[in-house]
Amino acid sequence: MLAGLAGQAGPYRQLLTELSGRLRAYYRRRAPAGVDVEDLVQETLIAVHTRRATYDASQPFTAWAYAIARYKLIDALRRGRAHLRAPLEAADALFVAPGAEAAMAGRDLERVLGKLPKRTRALIRDVKLAGLSTREAAQKHGMSESAVKVAVHRGLKALSAEYGSLKAQEVGDED
Amino acid sequence: MKTDDLIERLGGELKPVDPGAAGRRLALGLAGGALVSTAIMLAWIGPRPDLAHALTTAMFWVKFGYAALAGLILAVATRRLSRPGARLGGLALAIALPFVLMGAMGAMRLAMAARGARHALLMGSSADVCPWRIFVIGLPLLAGAVWAVRGLAPTRLTLAGVLAGGTAGALGALVYGFHCPETAAPFVAIWYTLGMALVAALGGVLGARLLRWR
Repeated sequence: MLAGLAGQAGPYRQLLTELSGRLRAYYRRRAPAGVDVEDLVQETLIAVHTRRATYDASQPFTAWAYAIARYKLIDALRRGRAHLRAPLEAADALFVAPGAEAAMAGRDLERVLGKLPKRTRALIRDVKLAGLSTREAAQKHGMSESAVKVAVHRGLKALSAEYGSLKAQEVGDED
Repeated sequence: MKTDDLIERLGGELKPVDPGAAGRRLALGLAGGALVSTAIMLAWIGPRPDLAHALTTAMFWVKFGYAALAGLILAVATRRLSRPGARLGGLALAIALPFVLMGAMGAMRLAMAARGARHALLMGSSADVCPWRIFVIGLPLLAGAVWAVRGLAPTRLTLAGVLAGGTAGALGALVYGFHCPETAAPFVAIWYTLGMALVAALGGVLGARLLRWR
């Protein structure tokens, strides 16, 4: 710290690095759930830095630093941010990346649809996914409406059979 | 931000710090407050008309010395409590010193006086206004002290506030001494001390709120 007060960045960084490890341990033991330990560590490091003029060279450095750590802990509790503090990075664990589920579902669908005859595949896409009416699909493919209905029905039946086999296959993969 | 990046950045903006920086900040705050306090005293109640003569009397310098010694010791204690984790320790005894001395001097003066003269020694002619005037004159000094201390890093805020207020009160009494015509030691021991205590009490009440730093 004396080197830090004299303006030597190297030893100072080393000191802060060692201190951050100790602070992390200090706050892990004391901070209640919901208070972000790393936030407190960083706030304390900043306070150590900005208030370094208050360090008295005749006193032990650790006592000084822990007094700041304790003050920061009390300050955090007093502000009652125990409820509020959940950094966004931590929330990542709770959510899948946006679109991931849709992407996985799409992959499965393509896999299943791939096993159907080409025209049935096209019909199911148009009617069930693109949202065309049976009549529109019939006009598009030059079929009668009832033929479209039958084809889609058979396709879906095959799909559900394929879906079942897919599930069975996945279970089998895990074995 | 990653903690390692933060450390890197803090190291990057590192500048040498003068060991006397904390004391200088407090001195600056008190000096600024003293200027305003003196201006208020001069504009509001003015210096005593016989100031030139008073400067040659012992009692003027007893008052001056009492307030100056109390202010100095309290300022040293305030500077100490502006550091994280600091305790008063032996300084608590040192703080008591000027008050014990002044109290003893007042008590001795009372003991020596004739019965009929004691009331005048205690109450003088301005006991009803003296503490309040010291309180008002001490307020700018308190503001200066609070500015200085909150820029440092006190961790026992109420105690730091009492000490900052005590310092402001003592220096306010010092300024008030240039107006006050009272010459009796018992008067000074009671009413000057009460004025200082008022500012100290205000500092203690405000300390937890005003001295908090981030």
